[in-house]
Amino acid sequence: MRQDWRIIGLFVGGVLIVGAIVGGPLLYSIKLSFYAAESFIAPPRWVGFGNYLSVLEDSNFWDALLNGIMISISAIVLQVTLGVGIALVLNRQFVGQTVVRALSIVPYFLPTVVACLIAQWMLDPNYGLIKSILASFGSSMFDWGANSATAKGTIVLVSVWIWTPFVVTCVLAGLQTIPVQLYEAARVDGAGAWKQFWHITLPGLRSVLIVVILLRGIWMFNKFDVIWLLTKGGPLNQTETLPTLAYRRAFLEFDLGGGAAVATISFALLATIILIYLRFFPIDEAKQGR
Amino acid sequence: MTVTQQNSHLSVVAANPRQAALLRSTSRFDSLPQDAPTPASKQKLSGFVSRPIKQIAGRIGLYAAVIVICIYSFFPIYWMIVSSLRAPQRLFLDTSLVFWPPDLSSYKSLLELTNYTTNFFNSALMAMATIIVATTLSAFIAYGATRLRFRGKTTLVASMLFAYMFPPLMLVIPMSALFRMFGLSDSLWGLLIAHLAISLPLGVWLLWGFFKSMPFDLEEAAMVDGCSQFGAFIKVVLPLSAPGLITVGIFAFLLSWADYVFALILIMSDQNKTLPVALASMLGAQDLRWGEILAGASLIALPLFVIFTFCYRYFVAGLTAGALKG
Repeated sequence: MRQDWRIIGLFVGGVLIVGAIVGGPLLYSIKLSFYAAESFIAPPRWVGFGNYLSVLEDSNFWDALLNGIMISISAIVLQVTLGVGIALVLNRQFVGQTVVRALSIVPYFLPTVVACLIAQWMLDPNYGLIKSILASFGSSMFDWGANSATAKGTIVLVSVWIWTPFVVTCVLAGLQTIPVQLYEAARVDGAGAWKQFWHITLPGLRSVLIVVILLRGIWMFNKFDVIWLLTKGGPLNQTETLPTLAYRRAFLEFDLGGGAAVATISFALLATIILIYLRFFPIDEAKQGR
Repeated sequence: MTVTQQNSHLSVVAANPRQAALLRSTSRFDSLPQDAPTPASKQKLSGFVSRPIKQIAGRIGLYAAVIVICIYSFFPIYWMIVSSLRAPQRLFLDTSLVFWPPDLSSYKSLLELTNYTTNFFNSALMAMATIIVATTLSAFIAYGATRLRFRGKTTLVASMLFAYMFPPLMLVIPMSALFRMFGLSDSLWGLLIAHLAISLPLGVWLLWGFFKSMPFDLEEAAMVDGCSQFGAFIKVVLPLSAPGLITVGIFAFLLSWADYVFALILIMSDQNKTLPVALASMLGAQDLRWGEILAGASLIALPLFVIFTFCYRYFVAGLTAGALKG
């Protein structure tokens, strides 16, 4: 059959536009990382791997990498545990199920800025709700932003609040694919709730969880806005991660090349981690197991 | 036993791939996860009295868990709205959960003293433009990718998924340099390009799954009746794809409306700022005006709540489509 030239034209045009606005910047980012581009006015100067070397020699980089990994892993573990738990509850039948399911995913769609502002308002050391609650118990409020552990904890907490609904929704959809007969058979065989969860629910959710953990891991590792809005990387770079380091270098220290190098390294690291992850948990095999 | 059961089920489905695809599409977009009837509901007939205490305790536990989930998910949002409706002099003292009678003075001073209306207009403009361009373009690309024959199709679609992986900073650092070169710095046109760059790959991915599951017979029938392929696409495929297009539109709106990173870096002047950045910069200001900030945050969330109420199922469809496709 002959192909319609208008379909071809619109398709090719669309692909070219995406290539220009997504592919173009990505390639330019790699190019920039080999140049010293201190200011926007002076023409960039070729420095080879100079930016990469200076980034790798910088102890801030390694701290940021470690912080990013720690924050990502704790956030993912909490998101997945809590997400599966909430999904199991919402999967039961109760009055108002639809409304509760809808309510439970609202945080995911809230702009990050709004979620972070709410967190800062509730946790405000002088006026926040948490302070009032603590005061009524006679204890005093701590300044969460001044301490490394509480600052990281706040970032993790807010991330968990915003993005757990993603896990909940995917797990809820995954739960529908597990045949009810399996549970009936297990009950006949005398398996309790815990055994049913461990031997039927969890294996049934395997493929969903593999993808969900992968996606959430990628997104958490690349997260810039939550950290920047809550702590700006502080106190004393204690919550600095690779994205905030790249931002700081590029736009606060006016070292575009260095910022691009940090972003490129973090992308390369992420790609490596993803490849290793997929080697251990291949998505295709997981699909067959479903 | 169960394994063979599942396999035979799979092979039946696989025997007719087009039907299988249809099944998948309907399950993805047309219906939300429904509850399978559980044995508990069958047992209702046996009467309330004979029900063991353990089961009643289970029900109480379930409802307690449900209430905790509701509070956890919605209380912070409720607290934001309640606080924004308090009189400024009581904002820092009042911890009651009641906002009646509402005091709109925070909203009034927000709209009178800040650039909020300008910023709101900028955000709305960006969101509208992103929805229109992203939905249209991703429909063209996704349709071509499913119906045209060419090499490298899989690579093209897979590369859309790679967009999930790129750190936003890897896009925005070069963009800021490139836009300066092309005279697009501090311009809403530049920001529109950035918002398209994040929403187009997602749109293509969602619609690709949608068009792929749509049987070709429909277009063929239209073309037998004398329609061109383009005509069939416009008159037959697009109307039938409305659920997919709405999902893409909603997610394009969300990405643009909520974007902080790109607007923070690409926009400098107060006049061109979008809502998230303008609001965040109020927090950094010398005099911390929590009342106005919370009123502004509530107003950003308002359009979302409205759309969410009417289009809940598309939100869920879009959310799961990306992850469950694998």
